[in-house]
Amino acid sequence: MKVKGFLQDVLGASRVTNARRNLIKNASVLNVYSDPIREVAKEVHPEPFKVTVVSVSDASPTAKTFRLKPLAGKLPPFEAGMYVSFQDLKIGNTVTTRPFSISSAPFEARSEDPFFEVTIRKGRDNGFVSNYFYNEVREGDEFTVEMPFGQFFYEPMRDAKNVVALAGGSGITPFVSMAKEINHGTLDMDLTILYGSVSSKDIILKDVLDQVQSERVKVVNVISGEEDYDGEKGFLRAELIQKYSKGDTSYFVCGPLPMYQFVRGELAKLEVPEKRIRMEVFGAPVDITKAEGYPECEAQTFKLTVVRGIHEDVIEASSRESLAVAMERAGIKNNTRCRSGACGYCRCKLLDGDVFVPTVGDGRRYADKMYGYVHACSTYPLSDCRIKIVIK
Amino acid sequence: MNFYKDHYDVIVIGGALAGMSCAMSLAKEGKDVLILERHNLPGGMATSFVRSGMEMEATLHEMMSLGLKEDPLYIRKYLDEMGVVIDWLRVPEAYRLLSHPDGIDITLHAGRRPDGTWVCADEIDMIYSGTKDEINRLLELCRSIYESVLFLNEHKLSKVEMLLKHEPLVKTAGYSAKEVLDSAFDLPLAVKKILSAYWIYVGQPMSSLPFTIYAFLMADYMMGGSFVARGFSHEMSVAMAEKCEELGVQFEYGQNVEKILVKDNHVYGVRTSRGDEIHCDYIASAPYPNTVYGKMIEPQSEVPKEARQYANAMPMSVTNFSVVLLLDKSPEELNIKDYSVFSSDIPFDTDAFWAEGKKIGGWNYLTTICLNYANPDCVPAGMTSLSITYLPLPEAFLNLKADGYFAFKRKVAREMIDRVSKHLGVDLKEHIQEIEIESPVTMSHYTSDYRGGIYGYQHSMDNSVVGRLEDLEKEFYIKGLVGCASHQLVGDGMACNINNGRIATKAILEWMKEAE
Repeated sequence: MKVKGFLQDVLGASRVTNARRNLIKNASVLNVYSDPIREVAKEVHPEPFKVTVVSVSDASPTAKTFRLKPLAGKLPPFEAGMYVSFQDLKIGNTVTTRPFSISSAPFEARSEDPFFEVTIRKGRDNGFVSNYFYNEVREGDEFTVEMPFGQFFYEPMRDAKNVVALAGGSGITPFVSMAKEINHGTLDMDLTILYGSVSSKDIILKDVLDQVQSERVKVVNVISGEEDYDGEKGFLRAELIQKYSKGDTSYFVCGPLPMYQFVRGELAKLEVPEKRIRMEVFGAPVDITKAEGYPECEAQTFKLTVVRGIHEDVIEASSRESLAVAMERAGIKNNTRCRSGACGYCRCKLLDGDVFVPTVGDGRRYADKMYGYVHACSTYPLSDCRIKIVIK
Repeated sequence: MNFYKDHYDVIVIGGALAGMSCAMSLAKEGKDVLILERHNLPGGMATSFVRSGMEMEATLHEMMSLGLKEDPLYIRKYLDEMGVVIDWLRVPEAYRLLSHPDGIDITLHAGRRPDGTWVCADEIDMIYSGTKDEINRLLELCRSIYESVLFLNEHKLSKVEMLLKHEPLVKTAGYSAKEVLDSAFDLPLAVKKILSAYWIYVGQPMSSLPFTIYAFLMADYMMGGSFVARGFSHEMSVAMAEKCEELGVQFEYGQNVEKILVKDNHVYGVRTSRGDEIHCDYIASAPYPNTVYGKMIEPQSEVPKEARQYANAMPMSVTNFSVVLLLDKSPEELNIKDYSVFSSDIPFDTDAFWAEGKKIGGWNYLTTICLNYANPDCVPAGMTSLSITYLPLPEAFLNLKADGYFAFKRKVAREMIDRVSKHLGVDLKEHIQEIEIESPVTMSHYTSDYRGGIYGYQHSMDNSVVGRLEDLEKEFYIKGLVGCASHQLVGDGMACNINNGRIATKAILEWMKEAE
């Protein structure tokens, strides 16, 4: 066997070894570390950071808009429809997190005077955190947030250019963000928002919705509880959806859980293909006992052992609340983000015990199910349990 | 509140395949090991994600060196020895190479017969007749080098013994893959192109890819074939993580190591972003030497001059740009017929492809993987899981800005999708149900790897594995600190990283012995 001649072949190994030694020997002795790609990654996906409330305004008789600015530095770019996660919310003895869709536009977050807004209606999600925001949060308050997250945004390669938004309650907020971005000329889509409310008083961000109407943005309020309302009445029914759709249309749905179920059925009537329907995650079920497959059992309190490194805590956990909520009540921070079972950020190991995980919205990986990993925000204890979580 | 012990024998920074294999092997020897992983999942890039209830492979991943159950190769043997059980599915074909400008459209399969003939030699001979003897001779040479490399992985030999027992390895070690193919084999250009398709799995053009690496790769793929886990790469990663913990390793997620603490040229611990200072005698580090020496070592005065030179000299290998798609039709309906397709829109030339990777977009050599063909249950019936990948160089992205980042990703992705659509004669954009675009920024975000690198340093002729091996021990610049990822000896790939982890283990065990 020869490549180029015996001697040359045999000496080849030393040749490449020497080439490498020379490469190293001739290199600079200075610290020239620089990683511009990492810098972009940190700007696009920053670590949790501090923001302050710069203004609070009424968005409806029962909802407020909070404008927030970073204490220092920039806000990350995001896509209209994404959400922010408020971290370390201390309410009583509880330490919790909450996701809120961003109701301001991406371009506003990247302007000279960067800010973002969330619009929160009191009473949402059992009202625990939304009431806190509505009643307690004032200008000058500081929060730690992490952003942006979520899959609920317009993707031009996937979605039809014509989008019909089906919104209910505070589910209007991601569409307000989209509408503003469209009018700013930085989001190339046509948007018709069908916004269902019980009465015209319930319309959140009414003034803003009036303002964003344009050549490409249309807002149609659909009122279900006012006989004499001058406009579209009733629910977001198939006929109504049909009326405002033109040609190839994508449907973006955001609102309370019962609305999802209703709208799903209506879209099915219209034979809308799956890829033309985008649903925002809808949060934890208000009543877990209503979830499909939940076993018949009395409300009970179990012992939950929480392992963090070599440290263990034993706390109480209600069968009616998720493991994440049990930990939050005990003041143990854990990594919840979407709080809907989808994002997997609160993934933890179930070391022992029986639990219930609702099938709807179960975003776990195949192997995680196999090996007993659960998402704490969507896992409910059915016995004493032992879990290992991320040290926060 | 104490979450950590006062002291560990070894801290492994990064719970990816190399780190986990290192930790497992050390724990098996009774050592007290802590893994600190910054993400909330094990596996590094070997992971998956879920969209609308459907799981998608995060990047292009195949496990090599497994071989069949009845004829195991070294990775299967290692996993068996560690007791790691994974539900492997064999990938049906090696690859299809589609290069219209060259008139090449061929599909090759793995397999070597007991008489030393190879399945793919016959497949190529069907089109390019009279070439099978030379192809068999080439692949037998590759196999002999593969065997030698594995032997040397476990044994040390003198130079004379090397020449006597591993002549083919020694005599080709000084040459690039191109040099050996051109000088020692009489094959038509088209056949050489066909046999070069795997260059992208090292990210090095044939002219600077050491023949040793080429031979190992070819023998590995063409002999045992490749595999994917039924539960995606995440199954493999979780199976290994579970085994680590079972063996007594403390495995902590969500812990970013910011500093490596050094005193008198020896490591003694780490500090995390949370502020925990944790002490140990040895550290296996997934972060690149550039990051370790550039900003992690504390104090910086402990970084030797030679270490800086090393980090500055090492040429960064490729990063990743992938488009991962869930499509709303079956592969058959989309005219997708193969698991793995390499396609080129210009005459096949690995130098030209590689040079294209210095710029953003305009990439002519794409790898398209349809996971359905290896794992039919990976998506609901009537759907397709497809990824399109190119491996550009990090230098192409150094001027990237956060503003316009989303638009930039889409522009590149659209071009890649359109290219593949053209080959298929089907506009894939009309069938996208879910799409994720992964750029070097994505790689950097999830792993923090230097410049989004996925393959470590270039396997080039001046950074050859032969030279790396020769100087391995000299390059432990700080005592007790060993690299443990694809920037190490063996380079990139899942099997290679398991091996990198074992090499780190060996170094640490030797140091421990010396210290006794």
